[in-house]
Amino acid sequence: MNRKAAYLGIGVIFGAAVTVAAPQALLSISPAAYAAAAETYRQLNLFGDVFDKIRNDYVEKPDEAKLIEAAINGMLSSLDPHSSYMDAKAFKDMQVQTKGEFGGLGIEVTQEDGIIKVVTPIDDTPAAKAGILSGDIITAIDETPTQGLTLDQAVEKMRGAINSPVKLKVVRGPKKEVKDFTVVRDLIKVQSVRSHVEDGDVAYIRITQFTEQTADGLKAAMEKLKTEIPAEKFKGYILDLRNNPGGLLDQSIDVVNSFVDRGEIVSTRGRTPEETQRFDARPGGDFSGGKPLVVLVNGGSASASEIVAGALQDHKRATLIGTRSFGKGSVQTIMPLGQEGALRLTTARYYTPSGRSIQAKGIDPDFKVLEDVPDDLKGKDDMKGEASLKGHLANGDEDTSASQAYVPPNEKDDKQLTAAINFLHGVKPSETTSAKTETAAPKTEAAKADAPKSDGSKNDIPAVTSPSDTARPN
Amino acid sequence: MKKGLSYLAVGAAAGVAFSIASQDALRAAGAGANSGVTLFAEVFNKVREKYAEKPDDDKLVKGAIDGMLASLDPHSTYFDPKALQDFQTSMKGEEFGGLGLEVMMEDGLVKVVSPIDDTPAARAGLMTGDLVTRIDDAPVRGLTLKEAVDKMRGPAKSSVRLLVERGVNKEPKEYTIVREIIHVQSVRSHVEGSDIGYIRVTQFNQEAYDGLRKAFEHFRADPGFAKLKGYILDLRNNPGGLLNQAVEITNSFVDSGQIVSTRGRNADQEQRYSARPGVNLSLGKPLVVLINGGSASASEIVSGALQDLRRATLIGTRSFGKGSVQTILPLGEDGALKLTTARYYTPSGRSIQARGIEPDIVVLENIPTDLKGKVSSLGEASLFGHLKNGKEEEKGSDAYVPPEKDKDTQLQAAVSLLHGAKPDALRTPAATVTSQ
Repeated sequence: MNRKAAYLGIGVIFGAAVTVAAPQALLSISPAAYAAAAETYRQLNLFGDVFDKIRNDYVEKPDEAKLIEAAINGMLSSLDPHSSYMDAKAFKDMQVQTKGEFGGLGIEVTQEDGIIKVVTPIDDTPAAKAGILSGDIITAIDETPTQGLTLDQAVEKMRGAINSPVKLKVVRGPKKEVKDFTVVRDLIKVQSVRSHVEDGDVAYIRITQFTEQTADGLKAAMEKLKTEIPAEKFKGYILDLRNNPGGLLDQSIDVVNSFVDRGEIVSTRGRTPEETQRFDARPGGDFSGGKPLVVLVNGGSASASEIVAGALQDHKRATLIGTRSFGKGSVQTIMPLGQEGALRLTTARYYTPSGRSIQAKGIDPDFKVLEDVPDDLKGKDDMKGEASLKGHLANGDEDTSASQAYVPPNEKDDKQLTAAINFLHGVKPSETTSAKTETAAPKTEAAKADAPKSDGSKNDIPAVTSPSDTARPN
Repeated sequence: MKKGLSYLAVGAAAGVAFSIASQDALRAAGAGANSGVTLFAEVFNKVREKYAEKPDDDKLVKGAIDGMLASLDPHSTYFDPKALQDFQTSMKGEEFGGLGLEVMMEDGLVKVVSPIDDTPAARAGLMTGDLVTRIDDAPVRGLTLKEAVDKMRGPAKSSVRLLVERGVNKEPKEYTIVREIIHVQSVRSHVEGSDIGYIRVTQFNQEAYDGLRKAFEHFRADPGFAKLKGYILDLRNNPGGLLNQAVEITNSFVDSGQIVSTRGRNADQEQRYSARPGVNLSLGKPLVVLINGGSASASEIVSGALQDLRRATLIGTRSFGKGSVQTILPLGEDGALKLTTARYYTPSGRSIQARGIEPDIVVLENIPTDLKGKVSSLGEASLFGHLKNGKEEEKGSDAYVPPEKDKDTQLQAAVSLLHGAKPDALRTPAATVTSQ
């Protein structure tokens, strides 16, 4: 169930590799700026002129704060799809997301036909302890009917201060039994790492996003797996980065370091050479004991996921299986602004250890394996990558084709996972997958033909993430 | 034949009733430093300093202005100098180097709605229904309608090659046509049957009122003028235009009374426009106005006034519902701002914003199966960020006009009414109205 939720989580693809900048002011003007100062002054004057005309002559008294925010957003969206302005609330939400914890109940919910439905209660949370079940329909939160609320609004209502209570009205099962729950909110940590043993000898680790909890979560998972699989049987690791939209840069570096002991992991380059930063593995960071490693990627693996996959591929440390990754090769920096908001600005591109930029290209897996897509999801299963986003940073020969981003909810149907397990069992993927790819290829073509025609606008992405499709933890 | 195209023009409903601001309406820059502008400047500077690539200042500011205006309403926009020039040209009465084809997009190809009389396209023998597959050897498939039209336009005396498919057999034909200056008339008229003066206004540009006067001159010159039963003013799929033209055209049918009033943010900004006596051209003969979901703005001023003044019977479907006025505010060498500055009110004081005008007699067209669902106008109330007008907003309505006159149910109803039919006999039954 969680896996399905994760695949749908692709909506947060705009979440991305992010570094949090020191909050020092950046108001100094560089010498280069002086040259264009006169022109800039003229441009700012034009802006001020338009702003004043709106203030004076618009048919209604405009909300000036809203105008400025719209102006900032308009300016930033003219740059690239990943630069944006966050107001106080959006900034707080982002911090919650990157921190990976918040006050809440501990349920993953989704919206189907306007109905808020429990995907699953998370183990060991107030919701699980209170007895909320998968499939429960939440009809009211604190006496407010959920009908007419967006998923975001419903989630917002369920979250709140730790130790504060929330009342849920729930309809359960085919008999539509009505139940009332009062649940006390607790600190919910979003598990960004999940793991289990496959076939008794393979360590499977899924990272859903790179939050502040990820590196620690990975280490804990690796420790636990080592106790669960006898050393002599331990065939290797599968690191599942499919539909992982990215997250914090430092966490992705730490994750790579858990599998390699030395060498460059990634470098970032800003506008000037002084801004180049190189990140190397710390010796002693490798927890993997040199066991074989397969990384699963697909069209929904973006940004921080691509840093990990690209580094492990360049180091020849891992074999990549799946479909081409998203292709987001830029780094955003968060700069606190004004009262409580912040600017998320693209400040650099990153390069894998071999010096390649995956921007608008993505990473090709070593073995391409496609999933079988159910008929009702055909056309929705492909992810149009970075190269299809309006205003993306250009990068020479780009790959604008869509890449599959579907992960079957049922493990037994998961061809990519099966190929990974087989590979670690010594079955050469070239054999298994070449056959599979042959048979699967026409299917993919058919799926593509079904895909709605797109004009390459960034509206394409939200089409995948309409509220009804998105599952969100709360 | 012209009529088929017009529904495409609904997209241009953003063009609309506005007045050109006088220089003194422009106010001096506001009260100095302000925290909002400071925040903007801070972001602007951070972007210039820290962005991954050297940004284009010009583009940044344009993006900001566009973003700010888009947050207001769907009709406020920024014109850069080029866009301003295009806009002014179109308001003067469209004139361009071209072939003289009215076209629409169908299944990715450009379909000829009609060659305009006495143009290079008509003389070359292009026909209604021809599908243009290539323009100067470049395939049309994959182009937007605007891109295809831009390829067909060009300087007068230059030539263009068209490959077309004709008829059910898709017989290919090739034409080389020399472009000429094409003048698009905003008013067309003819005597319908033998006793009705039919006037179609396609948009309210600067030549609309003159065009209407010429139409009346033609009617007066017609030998059957004395027997004219009345007039049909066809405003279907007319997206609007200049406010003063709407006022003049209304005045051509009435002698007295208020035509429209506009109200800005403050009470002192109310302006009333009333009919001047002595310029009514219609001699009081009965008048039917045709409207549909594509009739917007200036069209709604005219039909609203004629309805409130009980001068006309409105036939068709509910109009678009754009009840706001835009003013062009010049920005020196940087173009201009088209800003929503007022709402307008019909003589009875109603605002049609996001509601539209209900015709007196609702008559629907029969929409061909292949066009069903494609020919409705969503209306102002469906536009993101439209100005609100209380709770009772209304969505758009059908905006299809059949190319063949004998299939044009709304037109036939107008003719019948002027011939004395009872309104109830013309009305599309309510059950049908809800089902379509």
